[in-house]
Amino acid sequence: MSLTLFHRHVLEDYLAGFEAKANPNHLSVIRRPAIFSVLAHRGSEVLVEDGLKSIESIQLRNCAPGEWLVVSTTSGASTIENLLGEIAGASAVDQSDSRVLLQISGPNVRKILAKCVAVDLHADAFAIGASANMLCCHVAANLARTGADTFEITVPRSFAGSVFEEMMEMGREFALTAAFAD
Amino acid sequence: MASLITCPHCGTRPKEEFSIRGTALARPHPAASEEDWHAYVYLRENPKGRYQEYWHHAGGCRRFLIVERDNVTHDVFSVVDAVAIRGMSE
Ligand SMILES: [Zn+2]
Repeated sequence: MSLTLFHRHVLEDYLAGFEAKANPNHLSVIRRPAIFSVLAHRGSEVLVEDGLKSIESIQLRNCAPGEWLVVSTTSGASTIENLLGEIAGASAVDQSDSRVLLQISGPNVRKILAKCVAVDLHADAFAIGASANMLCCHVAANLARTGADTFEITVPRSFAGSVFEEMMEMGREFALTAAFAD
Repeated sequence: MASLITCPHCGTRPKEEFSIRGTALARPHPAASEEDWHAYVYLRENPKGRYQEYWHHAGGCRRFLIVERDNVTHDVFSVVDAVAIRGMSE
């Protein structure tokens, strides 16, 4: 018996009815990012952080002391796994199938996110490159600022539908659109 | 206001991100008497005023914190990572 497996994104049904044309305020769903969680062994926190920062094909997200999320939209999970395996004093686990990566951008993005998170996102308090774990639409997520008006949110896969719907609701007054980032 | 807690790792966050895990008690020695363990597991003072509690930052760094606050006025006096008391119990 032959078995054909399809990769089906958890937000596929949620995005089915949306217009193809993106508005200025837009939420884009990254289809297959590589996402790893990395923990530093006790005493290796600084060395592991330096090692992670030296990898060019990844973006580093802060979670807690000695704990990070590693996100890559350019390299596959096996490539990242090998790179992370070279860092001494670190444990890495592939979370690509357990997290959903959303990117929200536009002139009103901070007004939309102000209704989703309780953290001050002013550039003085949360500069480009900043990231942290926080509740986003009642779900424990990781939020990162990747540009002046661009943020990336990593949410647990099974909560992605709920977070997506709430964000779209909060963005409705700003004509927020959504699509896969194909 | 007790509704904002300043996590030493994450900054000022709403209380909804936390789960309160009860009084921060020193854990008895493994060989301590049954009465000591019974008191540690089941008995609580329930004081009015200033005291220390474990708060788990479930929506953020997921670290256990020790919050010293007044449960009458809701003043928060200090928030530290629970690892700070590890040296005391060891
Ligand atoms: Zn925290």
